[in-house]
Amino acid sequence: MSIALAEPPFAAEELAPLGALLARATAGQRRWLAGYVAGFDAALAAPTAAPAAPAAPPRPKLTILYATESGNAESIAAALRRDATRRGFAVRLRDAADTLPGELSDAGTLLVVASTWGDGEAPQRAAGFVTALEAADAPSLAGLRFAVLALGDRAYARFCATGRLIDARLAALGAERLAPLAECDVDFASPAATWSAARLSALATADAAPSDAASDRVIHVDFAGAATASRQAPAGVAVSELINLNSSRSDRRTWHVELDLAGIGLAYEPGDAIGVWPRNAPALVEAVLAAAGVPAEADLTESLASRYDLTTVTVPQVETIAQLSADSSLAALAADARAFAAWRADRQLVDLLALADRKLTAAQLVSLLRPLAPRLYSVASSRKLVGDAAHLLVAEVAWESHGRARRGVASGMLADTRPGEEVRVFVQPNRHFRLPGEAGRPVIMIGPGTGVAPFRGFLQEMEATGEKRPSWLFFGARRFHHDFLYQTEWQDWLRSGLLTRLDLAFSRDQPERVYVQHRIWESREALSGWIRDCASIYVCGDAAGMAKDVHAMLARILGADGDEQLSALARSGRYQRDVY
Amino acid sequence: MTTSARSRNEEIKEASRFLRGSIASGLEQTATGAIAEDDTQLVKFHGMYQQDDRDLRPERLRKKVEKAYSFMVRLRIPGGEMTPAQWLAASRVARERGNATLRLTTRQTIQFHGLLKGNLRPALRTLHADLLDSIAACGDVNRNVIATTNPAQSASRAAGVELARRLSDHLLPRSRAWHEIWIDGEQVTGGEAEDEPILGGTYLPRKFKIAIAVPPVNDVDVFAHDLGFIAIEENGVPVGYDVVIGGGMGMTHGEPDTFPRVGDVIGFCSPQEAVALAEHVVTIQRDWGDRADRRHARLKYTIERVGLARFVEELAVRHGRRLAPARPYSFVSNGDRLGWVEGEDGLWHYGLFVENGRIADHPGAPWLTTLETIAHRHRGAFLLTANQNLVIAGVPAGEREDIDAILDAAGLTRPGALRRNAMACVALPTCGLALAESERFLPTLVTDLERLLTRHGLDGQAMTIRMTGCPNGCARPYLAEIGLVGRGPGLYNLYLGGAFDGSRLNRLVGTDLDREAILAALDPLFAAYARERRDEERFSDFLIRTDRVAPLPEGPEAARP
Ligand SMILES: Cc1cc2nc3c(=O)[nH]c(=O)nc-3n(C[C@H](O)[C@H](O)[C@H](O)COP(=O)(O)OP(=O)(O)OC[C@H]3O[C@@H](n4cnc5c(N)ncnc54)[C@H](O)[C@@H]3O)c2cc1C
Ligand SMILES: Cc1cc2nc3c(=O)[nH]c(=O)nc-3n(C[C@H](O)[C@H](O)[C@H](O)COP(=O)(O)O)c2cc1C
Ligand code: SF4
Repeated sequence: MSIALAEPPFAAEELAPLGALLARATAGQRRWLAGYVAGFDAALAAPTAAPAAPAAPPRPKLTILYATESGNAESIAAALRRDATRRGFAVRLRDAADTLPGELSDAGTLLVVASTWGDGEAPQRAAGFVTALEAADAPSLAGLRFAVLALGDRAYARFCATGRLIDARLAALGAERLAPLAECDVDFASPAATWSAARLSALATADAAPSDAASDRVIHVDFAGAATASRQAPAGVAVSELINLNSSRSDRRTWHVELDLAGIGLAYEPGDAIGVWPRNAPALVEAVLAAAGVPAEADLTESLASRYDLTTVTVPQVETIAQLSADSSLAALAADARAFAAWRADRQLVDLLALADRKLTAAQLVSLLRPLAPRLYSVASSRKLVGDAAHLLVAEVAWESHGRARRGVASGMLADTRPGEEVRVFVQPNRHFRLPGEAGRPVIMIGPGTGVAPFRGFLQEMEATGEKRPSWLFFGARRFHHDFLYQTEWQDWLRSGLLTRLDLAFSRDQPERVYVQHRIWESREALSGWIRDCASIYVCGDAAGMAKDVHAMLARILGADGDEQLSALARSGRYQRDVY
Repeated sequence: MTTSARSRNEEIKEASRFLRGSIASGLEQTATGAIAEDDTQLVKFHGMYQQDDRDLRPERLRKKVEKAYSFMVRLRIPGGEMTPAQWLAASRVARERGNATLRLTTRQTIQFHGLLKGNLRPALRTLHADLLDSIAACGDVNRNVIATTNPAQSASRAAGVELARRLSDHLLPRSRAWHEIWIDGEQVTGGEAEDEPILGGTYLPRKFKIAIAVPPVNDVDVFAHDLGFIAIEENGVPVGYDVVIGGGMGMTHGEPDTFPRVGDVIGFCSPQEAVALAEHVVTIQRDWGDRADRRHARLKYTIERVGLARFVEELAVRHGRRLAPARPYSFVSNGDRLGWVEGEDGLWHYGLFVENGRIADHPGAPWLTTLETIAHRHRGAFLLTANQNLVIAGVPAGEREDIDAILDAAGLTRPGALRRNAMACVALPTCGLALAESERFLPTLVTDLERLLTRHGLDGQAMTIRMTGCPNGCARPYLAEIGLVGRGPGLYNLYLGGAFDGSRLNRLVGTDLDREAILAALDPLFAAYARERRDEERFSDFLIRTDRVAPLPEGPEAARP
């Protein structure tokens, strides 16, 4: 469904989230929205009406706790705090990374925003909190009132597992659930805003908030949250340079993408990611329409290309197609998580649609689809060195299965971009992946593959600021000749002394497979010395394999209590990971 | 030579602490695939060349990577004789550390290509465990000594290999640098004093090559060497050697004072005195060779400069006596005998034609794997020939069928006569000096020429054809009946009239010819040859007899026909 106004007074990007929200809103939600808009106008008409009454009753206490990996939960929590503060709550914002369950027992009211990572795991920095919450000796939380907003992705088997776990454990430990667990898929912005507003309204009523509830509610609810606003209203920036850094003999392609930020207010720091809103490739749209038996009509084609996820298969989709298919095994598949995961591993929506016996209508097709989600790419540059530009390092995803050639939606789109063409981007800050604030503190950077991207940003930053610190990079790829990303730049930095040491692991250049963790082990003595000298350790790149193996190797080097030492390092910000 | 006029290489050698330079620390610089510039000269003495993949050059700068540097490693295999275990070790190194090919060369050795710097040590350690090394396989030293591989004359061949080993060992650098750097992996502390009593602290002015031939087959091109030994047999065993000096093939385009030269026979020596004699030839060249201009530093130029008589005189002084007069010998051919040959020792030997010396698992022809299979069963030897072919030597009659079955099953083709006698250097993409394609182009040109020969009813006519990517002449093009020397992309100089047996230089007949022009030039000559040749007359002999090519070679008067 899209909003069809004769002459919309909004830009298309501004309308898109509203359209997406309305498309899914219930009748009740739509009524609420109508009231919201009316109240908003009323509030604007009397802008000075609200401010502080002199003799306000004590402000109700509210703790907002977030567990985040890539910053979505954090930005929702930050928006929530802003709104709650405006509404007169005494708000404490806490990162689960720095929190233990016992510290929440006298929090009064607790709102939790938590995402899920890995294979249904907690965000890594929040792992300690979740473990403590699960522990048999976890403290009683009787007297605490709470509600949980879970972020996740229905494409994963253990959808919103962390949010569900926190919700269940808080209740089990005696806390009182104010509202049922809310679960968000990748298009979390609107539902999260709705949830936030609803929670605050409910609390305001219940706690008899100090100011006039009606007008206050209308004024201060921030529709999508300041930080996510850029996600929802991305900037169009031109791609100015696109280079495949792998040699023509490599079996991979990794693109160095330069974005031209001249005149565009996108502030980023090395360590942040740039979010890219992709478009589906025309060939994919065509294939999906053909598989569904829906005629390719221009408006539909455009909306499929720009707004919907045409690749991921989810359980609800399988259930729907099962009803349109004589094949009873599909229904069974939807019911068996293990079997579904295996089936899905190398299949996409086209494969599923092709199993329907009947053609779909355009409306049926659209109703099946999830919205398209942006992809994140670690920024590989420093504005202090490259000026009005941002560099990304994008591994092109491509594979073949079941007779079809497949490509990553975003990486494929970027690879096909011509210099000068625009892409829609936003900054996803990651303040948990930053060069140390302490001058001179050594850094150990572990980033094989595209994981090296933020470290190029770090070194550019150091070069631009002239700040010297011992720096050690571990890089790895398949082959020295064909896959050594940014080789000559590292050489230059080694020569200038900005980069102190570079250790390389090329896995396919010799009979035995060598990865970065092996190089780490070989250098264990020097590495322990650096850690003793207060080095900060950074790991970026592949989460499933590399980050786990590197973690295990670091723990092994640190000794019997290596895991605990790493946790302590993580708590003090000296072990930072940006893995995906 | 005055010090000031010395070439840069001389300074590098002198400062190298007996060939060490900074090679060992260069190996620790893992961010680059290259070594320090001066060290690229020194590693040649360790049997390796730094190269880069020229096909990839254009794209690398933009991709923010350096050139695709790798190393060619050449082994020292005196006489070209290897055990099956050594063959397997080499094959494994090629697969695991190189580009999965073995390149047999005209110096009867094996070259590995595409070794990354970090793979050099492991590769050499694997080879060393089977008693192979790469010492002095390149550089200004005595290179791998070659000896006939003609399996028929078993006793003389064995004596030749034995002499090759003695010569090679005796003339080897005494420096421990190779072992230190590549095998032990540690640098000698305090730079313990070493001496090079034969080669001297700055080694030779230029490369030095020795060959041992056993008539009637001149498979080693004995006249193209700085020093050659021609076996004189009595009752099937060599009683001594005629000595040849001052041959050499290299020349430089546009440098008229560089030229190929056929060696001079200067006398006869006994097997016992051969090594001492070689030492004395080497030390004269060490002392008299040109150390200012590397293009004139080979022994042949020294001899041209001082005169043959004066050189022979000095040799008599250093050797302590004059050589006995040369004895008669006669060469009939310079090709390899292919297929099964029975030796005087009653064992059988299979000569296997290897196109361009390249052993790899080609589609439909898994050479590398097949030869590994044979090496696993075979108890004799592998002989690398000077024509880049391979002899599976010392097979008992009862095991012939086994070898045949393996070769047949793998479809290792039976090539035509032209292809069997065709030879190319590696040239592009690995050789830094190459001006034109060679190994990658010759096979298609041979196909063209075969078609041409068929058209003139000359099917199966053997003739020698050799191609190089530059005038350096690594495949000895100046001794071929048809020689092609690269001048620029797709362009070659054409030389005709070299003797089939390698005893006569060819002559330049056309410059800057492309493929079409080469074929156009040969077409009428083949036609005339088909019409007018006498019985068994070789193509080159026909050209000379009918005055289509003048018999005298290029170069100064002293270069013999
Ligand atoms: C914080 C963060 C930082 C990131 N930084 C970077 C970065 O710097 N550089 C970078 O390149 N990426 C980075 N990523 C990953 C990036 O966001 C995208 O996930 C990636 O580019 C793939 O997106 P896509 O749209 O091209 O592919 P999609 O269309 O999303 O397809 C990817 C999916 O295809 C499937 N798939 C892929 N290969 C196969 C196969 N062989 N067989 C079967 N299925 C397969 C998998 O399900 C995979 O999840 C980062 C991710 C995060 C969260
Ligand atoms: C590598 C990776 C693994 C993920 N695993 C899960 C998962 O197992 N279950 C789930 O529901 N969501 C999963 N997600 C989706 C995230 O929870 C979702 O993107 C969320 O918005 C991230 O929020 P955050 O930025 O606050 O961490 C995963 C995302 C990524 C990139
Ligand atoms: S002849 Fe020239 S091109 Fe050929 S290998 Fe020798 S140096 Fe290289």
